[in-house]
Amino acid sequence: MEKETRKFYERLERKGISRRKFMKYCTALTATMGLSAAYVPKVAQVFASPQQRATVIWLHFGECTGCSESVLRTIYPYVDEFVLEIVNLAYHETIMAAAGQQAEEQLQASVKKYDGKFICVVEGSVATKFNGGYGRIGGRPFLDIAKDVCPKAAAVIAIGSCACFGGIPAAKPNPGGYKGVGEAVGLKTVNLAGCPPNPNNFVGTVMNYLLLGKLPALDELGRPLFAYGKTIHDQCPRRSHFENDEFVEEFGSEEAEQGYCLYKLGCRGPETYNNCPIIKFNDGTNWPIGAGHPCIGCSQPNFWDKMTPFYEEL
Amino acid sequence: MGKKITIDPITRIEGHLKIEVEISGGKVANAWSSGQMFRGIEIILQGRDPRDAHAFVQRSCGV
Repeated sequence: MEKETRKFYERLERKGISRRKFMKYCTALTATMGLSAAYVPKVAQVFASPQQRATVIWLHFGECTGCSESVLRTIYPYVDEFVLEIVNLAYHETIMAAAGQQAEEQLQASVKKYDGKFICVVEGSVATKFNGGYGRIGGRPFLDIAKDVCPKAAAVIAIGSCACFGGIPAAKPNPGGYKGVGEAVGLKTVNLAGCPPNPNNFVGTVMNYLLLGKLPALDELGRPLFAYGKTIHDQCPRRSHFENDEFVEEFGSEEAEQGYCLYKLGCRGPETYNNCPIIKFNDGTNWPIGAGHPCIGCSQPNFWDKMTPFYEEL
Repeated sequence: MGKKITIDPITRIEGHLKIEVEISGGKVANAWSSGQMFRGIEIILQGRDPRDAHAFVQRSCGV
């Protein structure tokens, strides 16, 4: 164990990630998960000891792959490496070497080998109309694949609003009869809502599973409370402007420059639950409201219908 | 008609793609590519506020 831990830090060092930088990341992740600072060394240990890796089978249905991009590219410098340290990614169409029949065989073999033990991550929603004719992989409808694979998993994590609630393909008039994977298959999923969701919330959910042996506590929509427990509005750094009646009425205006509240431009922060204001995106660089755009409410069910028109005041 | 090879899914891309290739005398005689997923974003956009369009169409592909 100690030898493995030492090797892990040597590997990080070679990638230009100091131990200090890594611990800083673990501290931020632990805080995001809502755990006390006492857990920081334990979180670090989960990354460092490979016997605790979780096998993940990642399915793609009706989606844009933006959620994969979010996880694989933007958490932290080289964090794709961090994710791959804790996760044994047995199947993922965007990054796997196999294609065609070999890919299908790999999926079947992985499901069989890790039956009942793997975490199934689902990206995208499931087409249900026209015998699933709106989406097929290897000739099999999304719905057949979901019904086959998801019930065999130890846990199903729906990543992104499409997999959680149907998302954009399910927006009116929902031409393909798309549904979130939980509804389509009829099982309970951990819903990491967002378009895209924040990758730290994905890592936090997997870390919670590896560290505490269970999935995090969820709200009534299946979203982890550590991430979706408060509204954007309640955590917004522009909140004081809202209280002071200081609003942006037009993009590019003096008020916009001042960073006033975006409520009158249609901000959905008061109705949206997520931790974007705290953890932000791209290694904590920024987030939509920080860049001067109102929240579009992307982590709420059916936001493409319920939150639109986006630029009309609530 | 010669031998037909089907590759589905094509991996390392966004979306779901099928390629069919017809081989005759060791050469590609004919080939077809078909998108295996349809969400209908064009249909979904109809009748909506045009200011919202950018948010919808940018979800065509997230890669």
